[in-house]
Amino acid sequence: MLSLLCCFMSLLSFLIHSCLRPWTQAKKSLKDEKEIDEGTYVAGEEETPKGLLREQMPRHVAVIMDGNRRWAERAGLLTSQGHEAGAKRLIEFAELCFKLGIETVSAFAFSTENWGRHKIEVNCLMSLFQRYLKSKIQFFQSEEIRVSVIGNLEKIPESLLGTIKETEEATKRYKKKHLILAIDYSGRFDILHACKSIVKKSQQGLIREEDVDQTLFERELLTKCTEFPSPDLLIRTSGEQRISNFLLWQLAYTELFFSPVLWPDFDKDRVIEALVSYQRRERRFGCRI
Amino acid sequence: MDSNEPMLLLSSRIGQIGDLGLDLLWRFLHIVVSLFHIVSGIFEAIQSYAISLGLIQKYSSVDIEKLRCLAVVLDIEVARDVAKVVELLQWLKTIGVKQVGLFDSQGLLKKSKDMILEMVPGSTLLQETGEKDISPDRKEGIAIEFISSSDNKEAVVKAANILLKRHLKTSHPEKDEGNNVFTESHLNEALRVVGENVHVPDLMLVYGPVRSHLGFPAWRLRYTEIVHMGSLKYMRYGSLLKAIHKFTGVRQNYGV
Repeated sequence: MLSLLCCFMSLLSFLIHSCLRPWTQAKKSLKDEKEIDEGTYVAGEEETPKGLLREQMPRHVAVIMDGNRRWAERAGLLTSQGHEAGAKRLIEFAELCFKLGIETVSAFAFSTENWGRHKIEVNCLMSLFQRYLKSKIQFFQSEEIRVSVIGNLEKIPESLLGTIKETEEATKRYKKKHLILAIDYSGRFDILHACKSIVKKSQQGLIREEDVDQTLFERELLTKCTEFPSPDLLIRTSGEQRISNFLLWQLAYTELFFSPVLWPDFDKDRVIEALVSYQRRERRFGCRI
Repeated sequence: MDSNEPMLLLSSRIGQIGDLGLDLLWRFLHIVVSLFHIVSGIFEAIQSYAISLGLIQKYSSVDIEKLRCLAVVLDIEVARDVAKVVELLQWLKTIGVKQVGLFDSQGLLKKSKDMILEMVPGSTLLQETGEKDISPDRKEGIAIEFISSSDNKEAVVKAANILLKRHLKTSHPEKDEGNNVFTESHLNEALRVVGENVHVPDLMLVYGPVRSHLGFPAWRLRYTEIVHMGSLKYMRYGSLLKAIHKFTGVRQNYGV
């Protein structure tokens, strides 16, 4: 409760300051139109909010989107509506991240363990993924967002697989913004998949046994689709404080931000709160500074 | 034109007063928030001491059976303070924790393991043993495992190499895509061969300025609850007990 109150107070002070800022800036601009407020960088796409530094933005942000079902329950809605709200929130989240200069966004959409959920919910989720990806292809193209889907993908319906391939193909040429969706993904599966990939390459004579090291191993993980496979920041919503088999190998030095807010409620202010928290921390990557 | 001057002056004065007012309001808000943080910090400290003294009923009995394996991640600067690490281990032993994995990325604690085991009465070095191997003497003690970054990715790569060699030794390696060799249980077995523990910690406590697990063995972290405890230098018994108690109340769905 106390930590929630602290979060609320910090957010309140941030919000008030954000509201007051335009008024004070308008006053300043009457005197000198070219004056630039310190700490704010007009980046062209989205003005960096106060308290954030553009040059300290993480390159890769990962998110575990937890809390759709609880959100729906609290709102008196169906679980499917909770997942719809979650999907909508993801697009907004990714859009905001890209506007703030973050290059890669990874989202844990469906874990291997989620197959254990009720069949109706699973079918609903598969249908939601297909509908959303299909309907957003034009949006991804207009925003120049590359979309990749990582995961086992053996159990997912053919129709969804087709939509995934179509989306990846339609957006593969874009370089600056990358949205990675983890569907039927498991961190342990990722590591095992890398092992099998190494075996295949060894059988084909492409690598020798003695070549197998960490660098080669990392190049065989499912996150090889991105230049920055290790997230700088992981956000998990709904108050749970665990990684839940997401990007196990890649998260070694990732900053972990656990938010009590449910995913559909994780709006712009929450994102900024997470980024402010990230920028305040001192990362050492296990070394002594 | 001349008639506008008094108006402009008035507008400017109002603007200045307004700026001052906003500035004061902002500073007042900062003071309120800072005071709030100070008060909540004091409250937490008091609560922690109250928990330590057993004054809060809720924390007087912790269902420690639920915590089979605890991991403690220490930032490298924090890991140098061996006295504090020993104190932490003694507290964990008092609470009833049976198995602790101590991790620092550079392996500083590994180098001091003999000294640490000596300074914590009833502690033993955790070997890769099954549950049935627990001797009666260990029932009251605490088993400590010392882990570093070399037990993470390096170990998985070594284990992968073992599996690769095993696969290549099969009669028709070119036909087999490795599905019979590369399963989770096979990798677990290979990790044991390279001397690694594969027990999954139920709870991880992170001490240091960074909210990251700093390279703790990834293979073991699937469903581990992660709690950031702050500075080891200012650690409190009450906060430790509170974190463990909170963990015992957590309900995991495991994705289902």
